[in-house]
This record gives sequence, structure tokens and C-alpha cells, in this order.
Amino acid sequence: MSSEEREVYEKKVLDKLVDLLLDNLTHAIDRVRPGWKVRNEARVEEFKLTLYALNRSPPGLLGLSLVSFFILIALIGPYIAPFSYDMPLVLCDRNAYLAPPGTIITVKEGSLCSEVYGIKPGNYTLILGADDYGRDLFSRILYGARTSFVVAVLVMAIGPLIGITLGLISGYRGGSVDETIMRITDVFIAFPGLILAIAFSAVLPGRVSEILDMFPPLASATLSLFALKPEHVGALANLVSVIIALWIVWWPGYTRIVRGMVLSARENVYVEAARAIGVPTHSILFRHILPNILGPILVFLTLDFGGVILVEAGLSFLGLGAVPPIADWGRIVYDGAEYFPRAWWLVFFPGLATLLAVLGFNLIGDSLRDVLDPKTRRRIEFRVKGKR
Amino acid sequence: MSENSSRARESVKRMFPGEQPLVEVLNLKKYFPVRGLIFTRGYVKAVDGVSFSIPKSKTLGLVGESGSGKTTVGRLILRLIEPTGGSIYFDGRDILKLSGRGLKAFRRRAQIVFQDPYMSLNPRMTVFDIVYEPLRVHGIKVENPQEYVLKLLYQVGLNETHLFRYPHEFSGGQRQRIAIARALALNPEFMVLDEPTSMLDVSVQAQILNLLKEIQAKYNLTFLFISHDLGVVRYMSDYMAVMYLGKIVEIGPSDKVFENPAHPYTKALLSAIPIPDPEVARTRSRLTIKGEPPSPLNPPRGCRFHPRCPFYMEKCGLEEPPLIEVEKGHWSACWLHV
Repeated sequence: MSSEEREVYEKKVLDKLVDLLLDNLTHAIDRVRPGWKVRNEARVEEFKLTLYALNRSPPGLLGLSLVSFFILIALIGPYIAPFSYDMPLVLCDRNAYLAPPGTIITVKEGSLCSEVYGIKPGNYTLILGADDYGRDLFSRILYGARTSFVVAVLVMAIGPLIGITLGLISGYRGGSVDETIMRITDVFIAFPGLILAIAFSAVLPGRVSEILDMFPPLASATLSLFALKPEHVGALANLVSVIIALWIVWWPGYTRIVRGMVLSARENVYVEAARAIGVPTHSILFRHILPNILGPILVFLTLDFGGVILVEAGLSFLGLGAVPPIADWGRIVYDGAEYFPRAWWLVFFPGLATLLAVLGFNLIGDSLRDVLDPKTRRRIEFRVKGKR
Repeated sequence: MSENSSRARESVKRMFPGEQPLVEVLNLKKYFPVRGLIFTRGYVKAVDGVSFSIPKSKTLGLVGESGSGKTTVGRLILRLIEPTGGSIYFDGRDILKLSGRGLKAFRRRAQIVFQDPYMSLNPRMTVFDIVYEPLRVHGIKVENPQEYVLKLLYQVGLNETHLFRYPHEFSGGQRQRIAIARALALNPEFMVLDEPTSMLDVSVQAQILNLLKEIQAKYNLTFLFISHDLGVVRYMSDYMAVMYLGKIVEIGPSDKVFENPAHPYTKALLSAIPIPDPEVARTRSRLTIKGEPPSPLNPPRGCRFHPRCPFYMEKCGLEEPPLIEVEKGHWSACWLHV
């Protein structure tokens, strides 16, 4: 895109923000690796256009803000929570038992609470209420964001990777390799994913806890990832089992989709051109085919991120995954259901948190689909240009 | 090697007197299976027993209508697809026996330029990446990659402002130049040009053809020039071969084939070339043929051209004519010559 053409865009505040960020970033990279800017100018320009297009999609922006908020909470939530996720405030104030939102509790000087648990004496407002142990719901939701986020990231880091790799191989190789991979995939797809995940997360914990016992550094690393107290190391096995179970069930969809896309992408003449040059197979797959089908995959990844959060909450709701007193949105709903509708906040707020997080990813996914699809994207660009 | 095939190879070698062949193709076959619900229903005989040689530093034009198998021949010679039968010698070596390192070495020496420049460049790679990729893949270290690529770009008529752009920012002609630069990157000896100008405007066509001639002279390249445009082939080729339904019906020096076509199909093809002068056009004798080319799934017995041939004899439907030398280095597969 030449510079005269770019002037036609009416830039919004957000576009200027994008410019500022990317210009500084490219400048910084250019400092470290001289010549990078010249070589990648066209690439940066394309990326900017993508972001401009995203800036013009209100649902996308809403999704982006929801997701950024969720990620922010997941990262800093455990540090800003007023109480620990397992602090039974009933020990401080009997009013904390199933306290409705806005209840004020008092921690007295010299009480068990302040002496043993180190809570500063004074008045506290439980803005979202508390559960039957008097655990602060607001704090638990903040911690719960961390749990969901870590599970989702770990699942999405491995599951789709397996799926995409198998799909690439299957689609490009064809023949008996393709048949074998696809029949195995069929077996997994034929079985309902959630049922399979339930089965695996019910069976795996024993073995997982053995492994965690064998490698204490691994256990403590996982512990800090989930922001859990050291005494809750026993709860890890269940969480990790859920992650592994989701790895097992989360790849077949990707294999299917990617295989289909590879089947059409490999017929491109530039793939044949690459073969004529002598480009090795793995390089054709990862340099020529993958970048050209990445758009749709990215959309699926974003949508699935929300999907994993939902399924993880669902598994916890069924009593698998997080065990008390771990803070987990699904688990909080499950435990609170007993007191519904009297203590409606125990179900409503974690449910709302789940809804907003999943909604955010879905909205981003949808607008990414528009932005990354060359056809609709050009339309968005034209709309931008027409504004002048 | 059996006596029979060595004799066949000898005859291909001697196809064009006074020339040193770089590529020799012997009885090359490619059948594509047509699958039914369960069983293979039959085969499309895209290339069915083709033999020819391409002399060093010369251009062999390969013409034929759509579906005659000319593109398939180009791909077979570069081993982009595997033949059903036959053999291909490149510089005396059988390339069908190559694999791994040997095949990679062959790829350095033989390159291809595709028909559609809009499809043959990866839209996610910059011009630099596209042109430099061959060197990267073959592990060839050059002191300054940027300068090396730039030199190639200058050669094909592009400049430094094009270096880090994406293919979609270029016109068809410019893209074809990029594709030629990519093919030149490894300093090949042989290039297959698969209708390199058929997707371009006439004015751009001429530029690209001249560019190709220029680089051929400069680097002593051997070309296999595939086209359905007879005018272009005449301009480009030293020798030409005419294909019909997977067979070569006539092959020889371009001038001789054009001035004195021997095969009825070639005659018909040549008389289909429009002549700009109406006076001449009115007076020339035209040979027209009726009907469509038959399905390659079930080609006619004997001579494949016989159902459409104006000179049809009884023998034509029974026995397939071999290539017969009608004059020195000029061969035609027709019973009329016997």
C-alpha cells in the first residue's frame, strides 16, 4: 500500500493508537536488528490494516475489552482480592454466613480471625456476598478467573497443536496415512467430547497425583500457576486431569478442519512451485500452506478459547476438576446451587462472569472472521475509505 | 537396459541431426485413474507414449489444444508428478531413478515458470522471500542475499522498490517477472515454460517473451516452451512438437513444420491461424476439421486423429502410425507418408 493511498483513511483515535504502538514497536525491533523495518514494512502495513478493520467492528471491540478485562483479572486477581479464596469469614463474624451482596462484617481486635489468619481488625463490605463458609464471593471470583484462564491457556496450547499438526500431515500426505489419522479422529468425534472428558477426568487423577508427587518442582510450579496455597497441592491432580482430558478430546475438530483446508490449499500452484524448487515437505507445510490457512484457524482458536472455559466450568459443575476449597466458577455455582434461590448471588455472579468471558471470546472470534476473510475485509476497507 | 530400449534411446538422441540433446524423453506415459464408486473405472491417458529430445541451448515448443497432455509432459519432465511408464534422461542421467539428494540436485538444474502468475506466488511471502527461497532451500550461502536478489530483479526488469512487497501489489506481467526471477535464482540449465504468457495482455506478452529470449541467450538456457498459441511458439522455438490426445503427431524444426506441415492435424492447426491481410486470407487453402477431440478416457483405436481426419484410410482405424521422418529432422506420425 503506497503512502498516498493510505492518506485516504480517516483515522480514528484507536487507529492512531495502533499506529503509535506499531511504529514504536517496529522502531524498537529495527534498533535491535538493523534493516528489519525495511524488510517488513509491507507486513507491518498489512497488520495495521487488519487492526484498523478490527477497530471498525463494535462487537469485536466489545469482545476485545471483555477479554482484556478477563485476562487482566486472571493475571492480577489473586493479588487484588480482599481475602484469600479459602478464608472462612464466619470465624470472624457470624453474619458472613450466606451473606447477601453488600453485607458489612466486622473483624474484632484480638479475635481468632485477626490473630491466626492475620486479617486486620475493622469493617469489611462483602460486595458480592459470601457462601455457606462465609468465604468472600468477590475474592473467589477473582481467583476463579485465574483457574479458568490457566486451564484454557494450557488446553489451547497443546490440544489444537496436536490437531493442526495431524491435520497438516493427513491432508498433505493423503493415502493410507490420511486414512489412518482420519479414522482415529472419527472414533474421537463419534464419541461425545464432554462424556469422554468426564471419563478421563474421573480416571486420571490417581496417576496424575503420583506423577506430581514424583516431581515436586513440577507440582509447585503448577501450584503457583493456579495461585493456590501450598496446602492445597492435593487439589492439583484433579485440575491437571481436566487439562489432560481436554487435550485428549480437543484435537479431533482441528484435525478435521485443517485437513480439509490443506486438501484445497495444497492444490495451489505456488505449492507446486515450491516443490519444483525442491522445498522439503515440512517446509511446504509450515511456510507455504499453514500461513495461508491460518486465518480460519485463528478464528476457531479464539472461539474455542471460550469453549474451553465453558467446558471446564461445566466439568467443575459436575463435580470433576476443581475440588473445594479451590475457587472455580463452575464449582462455586455447583456448591451454591444447594442454597438457590435463597442465596441467588452464589449462582448468579460466577455464572455472569463465565458468560461475559465466553461472550468476549465469541465476539472477537466473529469479528476476526470478518477481518481475516479477504473478501469481507476488503469491504470493511472500502467502507473506511468511503468515509472521506 | 534391454536392446530394444537402448535402440529406442539411440533414435531419440538422433532425432535432430547435429544437435546435442539435454533432455531425452522415451515412451513417456501418464495415466490418471478415474475412480468410480468402488473400482477404478478407467484411465485418462493424458500422455501415452511420447518420445522426443530437447537440444541443448535450444527451445522446443510444445503445442496442442487443451487436454492434449502438453502441460502434463512439462510436469513429468520436472518430476512434479510421477509417470506411469517410460523414461526421462537429463544430461544423460535417468531422472526417474533419482531420489533424495539426487533429486534435489536435479531441481537445482531444472526449473519451471507457470501459466498463471496470480496463482504461482505465495500471497504471504514478500518478493525477497519468494526469490530467495530457492537458495535458502538448497543451502547456498551468498554474501549479501539482498544484493543477490536485487540483481535478479534488475535482470527481469524490476527494481529495489519491489523487493519487500507482496505479490498482490503487482500486475500480472510483473508477477510473471518475479516468477522468472525465482526460476533463475539457482542458475538452472533447463526451464519448462508452461504457457508463461497466456494469462497476460498482448503488449505485456511481447515484453515477457523478449525477456525470456534475452535470458536464454545470456545463460545458455534450454527451454521447453508449452503453449497453444502458434504465433508465440513460432517466435520462440527452434524446434516444435505438436501433440494430439496424448501423442506427438509431428515434431521438427519450427520453420520446417510451419512452412511445410506434414501431418493433417498440424495442417489444420496452422490454417486456423488468422491472417491479418484479407486478400491473402481469401486465397489461401484452408484445411478444416470437424468435431471435438474424442475423450482421452476412451481414445480411438489406431491413429487417434482418424475420426476427424479428412484423409482417412482404412489402415488408420486399425494400426497406429509411428513417427516417420519426412525430411531431415522432421517427423510426422501419419500413414500418408508411407
